Amino acid sequence: MKLFQTAIAAALLGATALAAPAHADVKIGLIGGVTGPIAAMAPPMIASAQLAIDQVNANGGVLDGQKLIGVVGDSACNPQNGTDAATKAVNIEGVVAIVGPHCSGAVLAVANSVTVPAGIAIITPSGTSPEITSLDDKDTVFRTVPSDDYQGRALARTLLDRGTKKVAVAYLNNDYGKGLAEAFKSEFEAKGGEIAGYAAHEGEKASYRSNLAELASGGADTLVILDYGDGSGLTLLRQALENGFFENFVGADGMKSDATFKELGAENLTTFVASSPVGEKSEALEMFNKAFSEAGGDPSAIFVTTSYDAAFLMALAVEKAGGDKTKVAAAMREISSGSGETILPGEWAKAKELIAAGKAIDYKGAAGDHNFDEKGDVPGAYALFKVGANGFEMIGEMK
Amino acid sequence: MEWIGFANYAVFMAIFICIYALLSLGLNIQWGFTGLFNAGIAGFFAVGAYTSAVLTSPAADGRLGGFDLPFWVGWIGAMVAAALIAWPIGKICLRFRSDYLAIATIGVAEIIRLVIKSEDWLTNSARGITDIPRPLGDLSYTMSQLAYLGIVMAILLVAYLMVERQIASPWGRMMRAIRDNEDAARAMGKDVPYRRLEAFIFGSALMGLGGALFAHFNRSITPEAIDPMVATFLVWIMLILGGSGNNRGAILGVAVVWIIWSLSEIVTDQFPHEYAVKAKYLRIFLIGLMLQLVLRFRPEGLLPEASGERKPVGKPSD
Amino acid sequence: MGALEIINFYLVPGLVVGSIYALGAVGITLVFAILRYAHLAHGDLATLGAFLGLGLVTALGISPYLALTAVMALTAVVAVGIDRVFYDYLRERPKIVTVMASLGIALMVRAIVQMVWGVDSQTYTRGIVRPENWFGIRVRDRELITIVAMIVLVVALQLFLQRSKWGKAMRAMSDNPDLALLSGVDNGKVVTITWVIVGGLCAAAGLFLGLNFELKAMMGWSMLLPMFAAAILGGVGRVEGAVLGGLIVGVAEEMSTLFLPTEYKAATAFAILLLMLLVRPTGLLRGKVL
Repeated sequence: MKLFQTAIAAALLGATALAAPAHADVKIGLIGGVTGPIAAMAPPMIASAQLAIDQVNANGGVLDGQKLIGVVGDSACNPQNGTDAATKAVNIEGVVAIVGPHCSGAVLAVANSVTVPAGIAIITPSGTSPEITSLDDKDTVFRTVPSDDYQGRALARTLLDRGTKKVAVAYLNNDYGKGLAEAFKSEFEAKGGEIAGYAAHEGEKASYRSNLAELASGGADTLVILDYGDGSGLTLLRQALENGFFENFVGADGMKSDATFKELGAENLTTFVASSPVGEKSEALEMFNKAFSEAGGDPSAIFVTTSYDAAFLMALAVEKAGGDKTKVAAAMREISSGSGETILPGEWAKAKELIAAGKAIDYKGAAGDHNFDEKGDVPGAYALFKVGANGFEMIGEMK
Repeated sequence: MEWIGFANYAVFMAIFICIYALLSLGLNIQWGFTGLFNAGIAGFFAVGAYTSAVLTSPAADGRLGGFDLPFWVGWIGAMVAAALIAWPIGKICLRFRSDYLAIATIGVAEIIRLVIKSEDWLTNSARGITDIPRPLGDLSYTMSQLAYLGIVMAILLVAYLMVERQIASPWGRMMRAIRDNEDAARAMGKDVPYRRLEAFIFGSALMGLGGALFAHFNRSITPEAIDPMVATFLVWIMLILGGSGNNRGAILGVAVVWIIWSLSEIVTDQFPHEYAVKAKYLRIFLIGLMLQLVLRFRPEGLLPEASGERKPVGKPSD
Repeated sequence: MGALEIINFYLVPGLVVGSIYALGAVGITLVFAILRYAHLAHGDLATLGAFLGLGLVTALGISPYLALTAVMALTAVVAVGIDRVFYDYLRERPKIVTVMASLGIALMVRAIVQMVWGVDSQTYTRGIVRPENWFGIRVRDRELITIVAMIVLVVALQLFLQRSKWGKAMRAMSDNPDLALLSGVDNGKVVTITWVIVGGLCAAAGLFLGLNFELKAMMGWSMLLPMFAAAILGGVGRVEGAVLGGLIVGVAEEMSTLFLPTEYKAATAFAILLLMLLVRPTGLLRGKVL
């Protein structure tokens, strides 16, 4: 008991000893599923958003040299904790905008009950549900991750182009997996491919061998896994490899996770490819990769590029809006409209000067150009990656 | 960070507390007064939330409804649906002894969750239902929050008064008699299974209403909201912490747990941002620890049951 | 579909998962029978055991099998410690209070695992293992070892309960605590021994889960409900019932994909349980106390 009392005392002491940030600082919320089902994905996502904030602060800060502060909130991937974290961020921390939440259910609840009524802009790096598109959001909800629809269709076309005509599809039974699977299926079949197995699975099971056996019984030798590569997607991939159910494996951005080659070994993944959103200018991705590696992050973790872009875009929007939270949403459209001087990841000083001079800028990010449509969505450009000696390597653009 | 911010946050917390208080009251009827170990709160919460969502949301392709009915129809529908689901479950499961009832209700709730998560035609599966109207939701942020708080407080008050009245009535005394000594109650000619079923259905209807209020508050409902941790176990903690068998205790427990939940984050937020993510794990640890402390120093609950001797219930081998 | 395919892809994985469920369910059933409450921290204790194993494997470079006994001992110490610090005070209270305390413990243990080992999926050994082929039946060493280890542990436990003085004391406690107390059984010692056994079983379940699949911070929590279903299915308080229940749940989950949409796999355990409760409310082996 003593130990725990000491621990609490230490925690409280720590809490008071660390000075509260100065009042002039500008805060944005970084709300994600730190605990709960996507706990494995959240830390690198938060870290890459934090990288964007650090770059801003290292290059002159926002507005008149104020520090930008990212206030981390835990949505635990559910609406209950998500709305709590967002309400706290908006009302107690006084954030001017929110990057997040990560899970679609939390995004819907937070937008509907907190940020849209309060007029706070949010941008989610990973909420892929099409329901977010149809939100009545007074133009305050954005995302840097394309709706599943684009990616599922692009993946289907690319596979057909590469000569794969018959596949089996295993998808995670949540909004991410389902959205991708449906888009993939309709496009693949419309373009003449054959789906020889199509099944959802729950994320928390230990064994998927019977699921795989069912899928393999359709006779396809390519398995499309629409799941997360550090969760059940990894388990599925491992068991499919170990038992030789399929020869080729295809994943979407969720499967482009370093956990796959770290745990399974790159030598076993020679027949595995994964798609991921990339920018029109591929140097944007390289710039991000370099900066994030230097900061100790892993650029091939899931959704880190979209998280970074979301935070950087939000910083630009805050700068453009002059720190006025009611104008952030409108500013978000101006800084990434497709016209104006190009800003690449990390080019904060340049962007700040241009904004001060009243010139138009256009952010081209690591995960895409982010020219928002009228719903706040972005069309995606994708590339296909394979596992090489040093992690994922791009093997080609996708249409 | 001005007072208005704190006030807004307090209003938000109060709304959450009122919604969860309905769940806790429902559970108190089942456990506190009748001794029924319902570990499937999430199931009834989900049925209520989704029923109201289907009834009140505008028409949508590919799933049941929406029927675009007024919100109060949805709320009544939520209670009716939860009660209708509770009826067969209670009919079948209430004869099991306490732990078996617990695992049976958990099982039913998990099956309900999987159906909701998987069936497109019914609930739009994993994507959930959006565009659920919120009464007085068109006002400005602060005003609409206040208005909703008024609504949920009024509903909670009515529910509380109704439950209190029932419990103070002969019916309530009979229920406690059944809980504390089933054989004696049976010997006195009480129809024990029927009374238990009554309590089970009544409590479940309140849980369904809580689910509906939650869905309308967020204007959306997704399967992530009906996870057993946040929709079942959390409610149990609230009731036991507050004092089962005491309705005021049940409500107080909800307030205390949400405040612990929330304050723990304010404490761990003080760490520098390098530790911001780890601090969230520490927060969960603190929540667990505070729960231990309350249980240790107030094991009978913050507001224990007022009247009479209370025999411990819920022994697995009763 | 051939018989070999059924064995390789449905029965064998079912038995492996079932063995892990069984190890967990035996612990749950012991707590039920002797301490008389549902221990909700069971899954997270298994997680802790698995990660303690990872700590040993990475620090000492030993194989996970060698780490097993050490991990069982360590987790047993942790379990006894948790009982002393948190559960012991609540023993005279209604059991539901301890159930809630165990839920808090689950959160605390998981938080410690996340703080110490992080949240990434990890494995004891990198890479993949293709199964051996025994006349068409494809099994890996680790799978055989999992099943055999489960049987050895359960047999040892049964022998302990039937033959040793303390095992008999535990059975007496579970039959009638008042009578046991009167006949001079040391209540505190029995509780301690129970937690030693339960902690060890948790660790074994976690370690084998990690060995056959991956280590994740949520791995134990997500096994908790099927384990409870297995314990109740077999009949509360019956060790061999828990084993049977675990194996049935494991095999049924895998077999369910033949008949049901795969997203309902997780519901299989409960569907069987509900059916069983309807026809045989005492559990498969008549539930009693040890």
